[in-house]
Amino acid sequence: MIPVKRICFLLLIFCYTTSVFAQPAAEDTLLIDLGAPPATVDLRPYITVVETTGHVLSLQQVQGRPFIPPQQSLPAWQNAHKNHRVWDCWLKLSVRNTGGKDSTLTLFTGWHDYMYWYVGTGNGGWTALSHAGLMLDKDDVGRWERYGFPVQVPAGQSRTFLLHIINKSFNGKPLAPVLFNALQYERFRNNGLNTYRAPAVVIQVILGMLLVFLTIAIINYTQLPDRSYLYFAAYIMGLVLFFALRLESKPYQLSVFHRWPMLKYYWDAPAMLFCFYFMYLLFGNAFLNLKERYPYMQRIFNISAACTGGVILICFFCIFWEKYHIPGIIYGYVYLATLLPLLVIFIALAKRSRHHPLIRFFLFGSLCFYMAYLASFLLRIKSLGLTGALGELSAPSMLMMTGILLQAMFFLAGLSYRNKLVHHERTKTQEMLIKQLNKNKELQRKLNEQLEELVKEQTSEILRKKQELEEQRQIQLNIEYDKKLTEIELKAIRAQINPHFIFNCLNSIQLFVMQRDYEYAQKYLSDFSYLIRKTLDFSRRNFITLTDEITYLNTYLGLEKMRFENKMEYDIRVDPALATTELEIPAMLLQPYVENAVKHGMTNPDQTIGQLIIRFQQLDADVLECVIEDNGIGITRSRELRTLPKHHQSSGMEISFNRAELLNKMYNTDIHIEIIDKSHRNFTESGTIVRILIPQL
Amino acid sequence: MIKAIIIDDERNSRDIIALMLGKYCPQVQIADTASDCADGIQKIKQHQPELVFLDLEMPDGTGFDVLQGTQEDAFEAVFVTAFEKKFLHTIRFSEVEIILKPIDKESLLQAVQTVAGRILSQASKHRYRVLLDNFNHGKQTSWEMVLPLVNGEDTTINTANIEYLEANTDKCTFYMADGSALQAERGFRHYADLFIPLRFYQVNNTQLVQLSHIHRVMQDSHHILLNSGAKLEITERRKKDLLTFHK
Repeated sequence: MIPVKRICFLLLIFCYTTSVFAQPAAEDTLLIDLGAPPATVDLRPYITVVETTGHVLSLQQVQGRPFIPPQQSLPAWQNAHKNHRVWDCWLKLSVRNTGGKDSTLTLFTGWHDYMYWYVGTGNGGWTALSHAGLMLDKDDVGRWERYGFPVQVPAGQSRTFLLHIINKSFNGKPLAPVLFNALQYERFRNNGLNTYRAPAVVIQVILGMLLVFLTIAIINYTQLPDRSYLYFAAYIMGLVLFFALRLESKPYQLSVFHRWPMLKYYWDAPAMLFCFYFMYLLFGNAFLNLKERYPYMQRIFNISAACTGGVILICFFCIFWEKYHIPGIIYGYVYLATLLPLLVIFIALAKRSRHHPLIRFFLFGSLCFYMAYLASFLLRIKSLGLTGALGELSAPSMLMMTGILLQAMFFLAGLSYRNKLVHHERTKTQEMLIKQLNKNKELQRKLNEQLEELVKEQTSEILRKKQELEEQRQIQLNIEYDKKLTEIELKAIRAQINPHFIFNCLNSIQLFVMQRDYEYAQKYLSDFSYLIRKTLDFSRRNFITLTDEITYLNTYLGLEKMRFENKMEYDIRVDPALATTELEIPAMLLQPYVENAVKHGMTNPDQTIGQLIIRFQQLDADVLECVIEDNGIGITRSRELRTLPKHHQSSGMEISFNRAELLNKMYNTDIHIEIIDKSHRNFTESGTIVRILIPQL
Repeated sequence: MIKAIIIDDERNSRDIIALMLGKYCPQVQIADTASDCADGIQKIKQHQPELVFLDLEMPDGTGFDVLQGTQEDAFEAVFVTAFEKKFLHTIRFSEVEIILKPIDKESLLQAVQTVAGRILSQASKHRYRVLLDNFNHGKQTSWEMVLPLVNGEDTTINTANIEYLEANTDKCTFYMADGSALQAERGFRHYADLFIPLRFYQVNNTQLVQLSHIHRVMQDSHHILLNSGAKLEITERRKKDLLTFHK
């Protein structure tokens, strides 16, 4: 608490030099004219004290004790109490107003932890007038006004006052009781206000800067969540709190934590241990990424940080047990003990700085702080001696503060640089990623194209194959169809040119030739060749005109009649309304039915002559009806007879039926063939009627 | 003189047979003619002819029906037809005489000479029995067959027992399932035409095998193995054909 002390010293000197000393007329009573009081009165010759250490005396207890004049000069008192936890002092002052006026003077004895002001009632009792104290007053700036106690003595009377002072902190506050008149007290107050303003402003500026650092660190942390920022932020927070608490002991200045007077003890030496060792080590660890780059150093840092943490806890304990002076001493020794190891660590780190630019920031910051502290320490040794300098270590000088600020700035710069590095790295990685991504995309695109190509190819291949297959199938179908058609056509030819008929015809011609009936032979031969020619011709066509069909049938039946002479007769009846040259009927469809009719017409034992009638007529608008009627035994009996022969061959009629079906399919028409046995209609009749309906296309 | 009857449903046919016989075969005397089966049978019973010219197809039946109706009467028959395909095997296997219309002089002379020889030698009528046998059994897998041998004799075999046929200059050898070999008078071509429709297969130029007698076709050589153990050569094309269509 050097500024406080210094100010007190200054005050004392001021008092000595500027005040007019009243003569110490009486030993224990101050005679003073309150109507015209001197500016300041040094009260030391007039006061008596009861002083105890280690415990507090109550008002009753102190009344039995003798008040004695202080033994030594007041500033020396503090040394006597250095080793005691509690310093308790009762101070007695008697004042006699020699003047004729009432007036009030102000007693000031410095700023103490607890102060109680009593006035004697004259009959041995005491009245408490007011109290004040650093630990008592939790007001803001206003509390500083209460340390001046009013000394009010009526004119011509005497008064005795008691001031009870209790100090519990290490530095015994200087006890310099002075009596001010109003003007002088005002002056003294203003003087103090101005004196303390300068360091308070310095502290506030530092606080502002630190807060800026803190803000930057937090903002950076939000952009790049990294542990080193947290440590740095904790370090700065620790400093902010430390400096903010230092405002507490600046009289008449604004303070933040006046409500919690104990805080300034707790966060004094421990704060420095916390910031300059504990957080410093943790920050260095994370910031330099020692875990990967320098594991050995990391171990040292961690162990040291843990030790510091332990020391901090010990300090807290000391403060809790009201041993306020011990943390300061601990800090002094810690500082001394770490001076050399830190230097060694710096050198070790410097050796590595080449590969690690961040180390430079860390080192510069650390060195600034180190040198500032060391210089400050050495300067203090010069003025205060080693012990004093150690004691004062926890009170930062301007140099130290500069060091602290520089360190923080370097660290922050390092962090920014680190951010930049990380950002750079990230950008690089991202660029690489983007490159890779583009490459992948390109690859994917190519692959897709290839795949598409392949799919297209295969699809077209499949389609081609399918088409081929379809074509083949179609061809196969056509082939089969053609085959079937050809087969049926062939069968038709075979059926229609009944070999029996052909060779029998030839046989007949042969006979005529042998009988030298050349005219007959000539006619027979030309008819026969006409028939053969037409048969060959028609069998290649699907449809022929009705005229052609009629001519063909006429020729055929003529030849048959020639073969069997008078055993058969035939009649072809064509509806005159028919356009025979336009109507078309399937070629060679009727012939087998006609042949059959000829054959059956002649096998009826009841009929000597086979009668064959062929009729063509228009049935509907576009349906041609052909009827082939004979007077044979009838289809039913014929079939019965036909079961007898063992060699069954498909007859011409069957072939015709199949052909009709095929034609129906081919031309999507509906040729209808109906075979009726006459006897089914009328028992008296016999014979077969074949009815063929041919729709005109 | 050979007493003969002509049975045919067409007058022109009867006329020309009679005309040609009169012209080229004076030894044949036409006793009568008939125009259908029933009439024919009656005429045969009536005249007891030595020779009958028989049309195959008539309105009320076939020439075989006439033969059937007159089994007890001993006569030789010459079949006359415009188209023999329908009864090819029935006729050819029984080795009866057949003339195709329009009739040419040579076939008529040949046929008349052959039957005249048989009439003279009072040859066995077994060929007609075989014929009726085959006719009555209709389309069948095995046929009775009259086989004229090189020594001038005939033998009757069943086609089911034929393993394979082999060309032997202008003759043909029948190898039977029982291991015997018969030297036939007729040529290989004549039998090939007859047998190929009856599930026989010509494995090479000179050999015709009954399919049912093939044990297996050798995969790695051009041979087939028969049930009897005989090994015949088969040409590449025919092997493929055989495996594709006849297995």
